[in-house]
Amino acid sequence: MADPTGPQDPGTDAALRILIDAARRGAVAQRFVPAAEERLLQSIVDATVGLFDAEASSVALFERDPDRLQFAVAAGPQGAGVVGISVPPTKGIVGYVFSTGQAIALSDVASDPRFDRAAAERTGYVPRSIAAVPLVDRESTVGVLQVLDKRSAPAFTLRDMELLAVFAGQAATAIAASRVQRDLPGLIRTSLAELGDGQLDEAALDAIVDRLAAELDRDDDEPFWSLVGQVSRLRSLEPGELSLVRAILEVVAAHPRAARRR
Amino acid sequence: MTDELPAWTEPFTTAGLDRLSRPATIAGVSRDWAWKDATGAGVRVAIVDSGVEGDHPLVQGRLRESHAVVLHEESEEIVDDPATGDLFGHGTACAGIIVGLAPEVELVSVRVLGADLKGKGRAFVAALEWVVAQRIPVVNLSLSSKSEQLYGLFHELADEAYFRNVVLVSAANNVPGPSYPSLFSSVISVAAHDQPDPFRLYYNPEPPVEFGAWGVDVPVAWQGGSETVATGNSFAAPHVAGLVARLLSKHPGLTPFEVKAILAAIADNAAPATLG
Repeated sequence: MADPTGPQDPGTDAALRILIDAARRGAVAQRFVPAAEERLLQSIVDATVGLFDAEASSVALFERDPDRLQFAVAAGPQGAGVVGISVPPTKGIVGYVFSTGQAIALSDVASDPRFDRAAAERTGYVPRSIAAVPLVDRESTVGVLQVLDKRSAPAFTLRDMELLAVFAGQAATAIAASRVQRDLPGLIRTSLAELGDGQLDEAALDAIVDRLAAELDRDDDEPFWSLVGQVSRLRSLEPGELSLVRAILEVVAAHPRAARRR
Repeated sequence: MTDELPAWTEPFTTAGLDRLSRPATIAGVSRDWAWKDATGAGVRVAIVDSGVEGDHPLVQGRLRESHAVVLHEESEEIVDDPATGDLFGHGTACAGIIVGLAPEVELVSVRVLGADLKGKGRAFVAALEWVVAQRIPVVNLSLSSKSEQLYGLFHELADEAYFRNVVLVSAANNVPGPSYPSLFSSVISVAAHDQPDPFRLYYNPEPPVEFGAWGVDVPVAWQGGSETVATGNSFAAPHVAGLVARLLSKHPGLTPFEVKAILAAIADNAAPATLG
């Protein structure tokens, strides 16, 4: 593997190596406990769809570079198409709720030609009614929870909105808890800026974070990450299978020594 | 479960209304006195939001000025922005509601949404500073901030507005936790009720949210000359802004304190003598 730190003075170089090590361990940990946040968010949209008897429910999370709201999870008969789609945070109903932190619901949206139909059609579903509430962290809005088309009524009630806000609170807590894993480079950038006490300018911070990001940009075909992936799968094995794998690994680990002796 | 809901709108729902105690009335102050035959004529109302579509039929040609906040490295600037219109539809929805109640108001749009998200808080503060400096008598705010850093600044601005006779009408946020300036006592905070009557107004003697106005299934103006049906506290606030504009057109010079007292006195849950 090429030296990811490049030429640097020795002190900075050592500090960078420590950071990269820490970041790498974080990334490995994330592989071992995959998508804890996603599972929690999924359970929230599942519950939302069930409670409202809705056609779909989904959570969009704010991501940077470029700024966008990306749909992370969805549930309901009409929900699946939205996962992975990004919408600009400066447009549409979801964008408005994200920008203002205000919960809103609209009915009759499908009959409105100016509704963000293009985005809706990409998901394969154009709703008649929509309710959207912000996911609010301690300080800021981190995403939006939305529900489409309650089957039993043409519109959402005040009570619906308040229940949704409670669900959104749960989702926001889940996101805060796993933020460390989700945005490791972002976290390191913030910590560096604070530790640097103004000594590091934006360009220097960018350079360091870029190097970390390059290191964490997991290529699953690369031997190290493919090994991490394989090992993480062992977590789901039964005790019997596990001891078999252990026996195999011991033989494999002994192999280079045996080969060298020959 | 019910007790755990962030129930800003709860007092204004059918189940909650019985529990709203009835505040005292003010002799001689009735709805007729407050705004009968009033149109909001000559009263400027600022909409700090996503912009307003001036040519939307429901805005009825009442948009007089369109501004936007431009963020520079170290400063903010309010510029004329007649061309952008409304990026979300929401500002136009508020404008339509206000004009529906006060058909002769003079609307001033200050667009803070839809631009650079990183500067959202700064843009909001700059817009608020500007409307207060301009002494625009009624300001509709359907957005708020949770930033602890901006708490002090918002508090100062809300007080300054209060003493400059600028009535800030702020939509309550249905999310638990602080939101500024909607939870300050110097603003009129509004949550939604679900009775389809733009004049129906409740006073809640148990703050932080003091007033309830129509905010459920409200037919509203939306982007591109369209219309939709909307629910949220942010559609309740412009009802109160429109009523305040009516009141001020008939009784110019009322202070924010007097406006609040009058609204409470003529609210639909005020003592029976003033009902109707």
